[in-house]
Amino acid sequence: MYLESRRSFMKGAAFTVAGVAIAKGVFTADAIAESVSESKFTNTPDSLSFYPPLEQWDDFKELDGDDWKRGGIDRKGVRSEENPDGIEVNDYTIVPTACSNCEASCGLTAWIDKKTFTVKKYMGNPLHPGSRGRNCAKGYATQSQMYDPDRLAFPIKRAPGSARGEGKWIRTTWDEAMTTIGKKMGDTLREGDELSKKSVMFHVGRPNENGFTGKVWHTLGSDAFNSHTNICSAGGRTSTIQWANDDRSSPDWANAKLVFLNSSHAADAGHYFQQSASFIADARKKGAKLVVMDPRMSNSAGMADLWIAAWPGTEAAIYLYLTNRILQEGRVDKNFVRRWMNWEVMMKNEKYLNFMVEKGYISKVPQKRDFESFIAMITELYSSYTLEYTVKETHVPAHKLEQLYDMFIWAGDSISSYFWRAAAAGNRGGWMSGRAGYLPIALRGSIGTVGGTFFHHWHVISVAGKGGSSTVGQGKRGSDIPKVDVWNELAWPPEWPLSTYEMSFLLPHLLTDTQWQEKWIKRGLNVPQKLAVWIPRMYNPVWINPDGFRWLEVLKDEKKMELTFNLSPTWSETNWHVDYVLPVGLAGERHDQHSEATRPARWTSFRQPVMRVALEKAGWRPNNPNRATLEAHIKAGLGEVWEENEFWFDMCVNYIDSDGSLGVKKMWESKRHPGKPVTIAEWYDAAFGDNLPNLYKTATSDSRYKNSEYPVYEYMRDHGAWMEENNIYSAQERGVKFDGRNLVSHGHKYPKHDLSMDSDTGVIYAKDHHNGWKYKDDKKPVAIEVDGKMMEGFATLDKKLDFFSEWFAQEWKWPEYAIPFYPRTDEEKKRMPHIVSHVNHSYMKEENSYALNTVFRLPYNIHTRSGNSKHLMEISQNHDPVWISTKDAQRQNFKRGDAIRVRIVDSVSGLESGYFVAMAIPTEGILPGTLACSHHGGRWKLKNAISIPNGVSDGKVNGTIAPRDMNDKDFMNESPRNVGQEGAQIKIEDYDGISGNNSFGIPTAEIQMDGKEGKFTYIEGLKPFHSKRFAEYNKDSDNIWWDGLSGSWQNAVAATHPDPISGMHCWHQKVILEPAQKGDKIGDIQVNYDNNFKVYQAWRDELTRPLDGDSEFRRPPHIKRPWVPLSEKAYRVDIRD
Amino acid sequence: MQNLQARSNIYALLSRILIQELDTEMLQTIKDDETILDFLPNLKNWEALNILENSVLLEEHLNPDFINISILHLIPYETFYVRDDQMIETGGANPVTDTYSAYNFMVDFAEARVVSTDHIGVELEFMHHLCEAQIKAEEDNDAEAAYELKTVQKDFLNKHLLQWAPMYLLNVKYESRTPLYADTADMAIEFLLSDNEYLSSGTSLE
Repeated sequence: MYLESRRSFMKGAAFTVAGVAIAKGVFTADAIAESVSESKFTNTPDSLSFYPPLEQWDDFKELDGDDWKRGGIDRKGVRSEENPDGIEVNDYTIVPTACSNCEASCGLTAWIDKKTFTVKKYMGNPLHPGSRGRNCAKGYATQSQMYDPDRLAFPIKRAPGSARGEGKWIRTTWDEAMTTIGKKMGDTLREGDELSKKSVMFHVGRPNENGFTGKVWHTLGSDAFNSHTNICSAGGRTSTIQWANDDRSSPDWANAKLVFLNSSHAADAGHYFQQSASFIADARKKGAKLVVMDPRMSNSAGMADLWIAAWPGTEAAIYLYLTNRILQEGRVDKNFVRRWMNWEVMMKNEKYLNFMVEKGYISKVPQKRDFESFIAMITELYSSYTLEYTVKETHVPAHKLEQLYDMFIWAGDSISSYFWRAAAAGNRGGWMSGRAGYLPIALRGSIGTVGGTFFHHWHVISVAGKGGSSTVGQGKRGSDIPKVDVWNELAWPPEWPLSTYEMSFLLPHLLTDTQWQEKWIKRGLNVPQKLAVWIPRMYNPVWINPDGFRWLEVLKDEKKMELTFNLSPTWSETNWHVDYVLPVGLAGERHDQHSEATRPARWTSFRQPVMRVALEKAGWRPNNPNRATLEAHIKAGLGEVWEENEFWFDMCVNYIDSDGSLGVKKMWESKRHPGKPVTIAEWYDAAFGDNLPNLYKTATSDSRYKNSEYPVYEYMRDHGAWMEENNIYSAQERGVKFDGRNLVSHGHKYPKHDLSMDSDTGVIYAKDHHNGWKYKDDKKPVAIEVDGKMMEGFATLDKKLDFFSEWFAQEWKWPEYAIPFYPRTDEEKKRMPHIVSHVNHSYMKEENSYALNTVFRLPYNIHTRSGNSKHLMEISQNHDPVWISTKDAQRQNFKRGDAIRVRIVDSVSGLESGYFVAMAIPTEGILPGTLACSHHGGRWKLKNAISIPNGVSDGKVNGTIAPRDMNDKDFMNESPRNVGQEGAQIKIEDYDGISGNNSFGIPTAEIQMDGKEGKFTYIEGLKPFHSKRFAEYNKDSDNIWWDGLSGSWQNAVAATHPDPISGMHCWHQKVILEPAQKGDKIGDIQVNYDNNFKVYQAWRDELTRPLDGDSEFRRPPHIKRPWVPLSEKAYRVDIRD
Repeated sequence: MQNLQARSNIYALLSRILIQELDTEMLQTIKDDETILDFLPNLKNWEALNILENSVLLEEHLNPDFINISILHLIPYETFYVRDDQMIETGGANPVTDTYSAYNFMVDFAEARVVSTDHIGVELEFMHHLCEAQIKAEEDNDAEAAYELKTVQKDFLNKHLLQWAPMYLLNVKYESRTPLYADTADMAIEFLLSDNEYLSSGTSLE
């Protein structure tokens, strides 16, 4: 019909009103359209990218995402002089840094708005080889931490006349604090005796750097470094030390066929969540299978191909079941095992073979000593780990174990795993899970392969402490610093010589336990009975360590800890009880070289104070080059917030040893500017440049940097990350050079006349003229010959993977555990408590007793640092209940949301610690008989607001006069004078003399304690508030709907459980559940910490094998002591029996 | 030139009727213009047009019908008709937006009150603007520009309006409850087809 129509439209020309007047006119005015066409912005870009190219980082314009909500450039155009109503354009300078909210060190970029000199957002760093431009929720939280209204704006100290923990504070200056602390440290060290070198203690939470602070303590000659490691990963590391004398696994997730996780770590949270998760996702995209072993159905387990819910602490049995089948079914990669497992050492050790017969491990000593006899021997050794046995011990159904085995075999030599927390951190003997776990992987040849599992030291860069060539006294890489000459029993007590790191969680117990101190003093050790100075660094042991009330007792005791200060940007339970809190910066406010083994490559990130870097790159110069970060943070309105690097440079040169009499001053004195502390640029140019040849070559040949004063530093400053070497596989097979006269291995040259070879094992030794005391007959193993080729080998004494740990069996008294093993019978369990979990089902004798799994992270929490991160707190409310299986809940009549009492009972001493009240959540996602409740809950504070007079409220000194605008010349030219000094305090413009205390995240509690028993209850939740500090950023602080209760402070109820071998605090708990009683509230706790002290003594006295009169050393000398090198004198010990 | 002016006016009229409810002023313009009423014969003969007050006509008859044919029951957007998933592309991936941008046209959404640039009223108004631009070019004796603008019109009509508008307009014709929209739908279909013939052949609208 229409096609046939021939209506004339010509008449249209005769409209009485022209079309122009009729049309609605829906197209915009020219100015708006032009504002878009003249800009670089378009709604239809050719490609999408989160990040501009590096060349544009210094000056990058981007439309404002918030303003965009007014209608975008389609409706409003781009803001310009001609189009003032257009969408706002941000004028950014982009500075790279690295996240500090877990240990992974993912790249970050700070997007600094030049017009207001504030960080508008943190994004990832696309140049970072591990994180590849991505971050998790915690990374983006860096901004909310930066503009936390309650962050400390200046150094504070306990008000004169008040007691620790009373909560009375005054403002002080950096100089006053450094003078007081520096004098106390200097005076202590000047006493010069052994005790003085053990009386200052530095206690670090998450180090997040590779060697800087260790170097400080090294130059101070103190055995002072105390890590949090033994509440974290000591058990995980022990197994790797025994197998490879390395620190931890380093999996190649991205290329694996089987990703075998023994916890929620890696893919949910923890090491190295986000980077690992994305590599695992890459692998799965290529067809990899994911297996998660965890009694709790974590997020990872929920999306795995196979979830294995084993009873906590029985994981080793599963690994040995796999081992048994691999051996029985002839699936061993014999070529790999023959070349790289230390079978020769084992078969040579007649004494140990006989010991195994005696213990019933094998029926007879093998007649021959060849490789096939070894395989036959271990086939017999592991034959008891049958399917039937494993099902019974682990509570995992048979079909799942069989499925696991099939996947394991299917994956060939591409099996990636990571032995870290979870089983190893939760259970007594948990280290054996990793020890057993490496075995089937090694038997399949999946060590060092593409998609396999390898070791940390080949994949990490540790140079933060090696900038010595920039100083007067350290020498290149610190070669001129004398080794520390003492051994601190408070860090490394004689009961735990094999502890992987310091026994830091026992510090309050060891300081309290005068009986223990006197016992060892009588036996010839110089045990400190007090500390002159205790320095936690961004650490909160009161809350996160077990037996929190014991910490409170000791922290409050000025006789045990004479002077205490925390280098911390935020309020915390621990800060509340120290003498000084000195605010050092967060992820975008400090310098750190930080590298982790997250892929088979060596990369490092460079954490930086982004405001300072932005200013310096734009031409600003500080008045005091040694306090540049402090000046920059004042200019940025953050307050008198500093960083640790500059703090310690200054402390060592000007406060601890200002006259140089201790020999410390020269160690940190600048070679370029003698008399002054070294600067950041000097130190890091040397630290990176002296140690990373590929980086040095790149930076010094790049036209942008080659003419700079500090080319390597500037390269890292601009990029924020670097990959020194990629695709590092089977590095033990790297050849060593021998030219007929010298052998070169690991960069060291050994002359021929010092070399010898063990013809049975192929190990090549060199006579060690400096550290011969560490090795038998002064012979250091430097290489190994396998099949006629000389190679570097592993870092063990026999240069192979130690299936049999000879030193562990002989000098160090644990022969029964010198091979991967798990008790096969009830009788063996009784004889071998050291490797049976304290929450094994055999200990669950009482009605309603359970194994409580406490060791898993909540993906949105960052330990102490996240306590006041606004958006993380909002999403984390009520996420830490007690998971209980529906079957168990039904039996005890617990319903979702019920308050329950969780009573903690020790299976060694039989003593009860007390209880915490928590919320029950029945779920199918947990193995019956076990419970789960993360120990990362239950933050608290005693006061909601603290009055700390500004001190300079009369406005004597303003931080900045010109408006904060990087395009303003006056702003760029000015900088505060004499920062940190008396009289130069900066008026904090938006601070009114009252500091909030974690107003976004932590409820207020009340504590009662009498030296033996303690009670704790929450008395007030969070309330909406009006924030004056960083008011614009925190304008929604009146919208707090959550009460802040994040679980119970179960750590305070928990007694310490020091593993007799690894020294790990074994986190899991045997608990008895009962309904809450009248008056109980979720979050309440009651603890008998006197009993907890007895539990510590029981674990120590009933389970350890301490040093004795036969002991020659404090610890196996070939195992590295972390952080600080110690001398022979320090290692040697003479115990009087 | 007369052709061109006629086409421009008709595109303007159709776009105005189909983009939003009429207001009293526009209604009066239609009522007063015999030429327009000739294009809409049923409306012209609709008794109510001359009996009811404009406000009543609008509020009780015409505007409810407009809501009916453009919001409640029919979807006047190109992407709804041409995409397999029948989703309206409201973001930057709408090819119509690209075409507008290429000639420095940008939709003022607040004025248009549409969710996407490919609304029938907007596309028709775009054709109107192209005609106006061609008029200017011809007045300036810029034959090259005039030719190019004509080509653009032909392309836009073929790549966009003709791909879907007839379907929508047929639906309008059968769904509408007032002669205004039924007649407009009829007129628009006829006009688009005829205009395509014109642009393709270079013949007159006669």
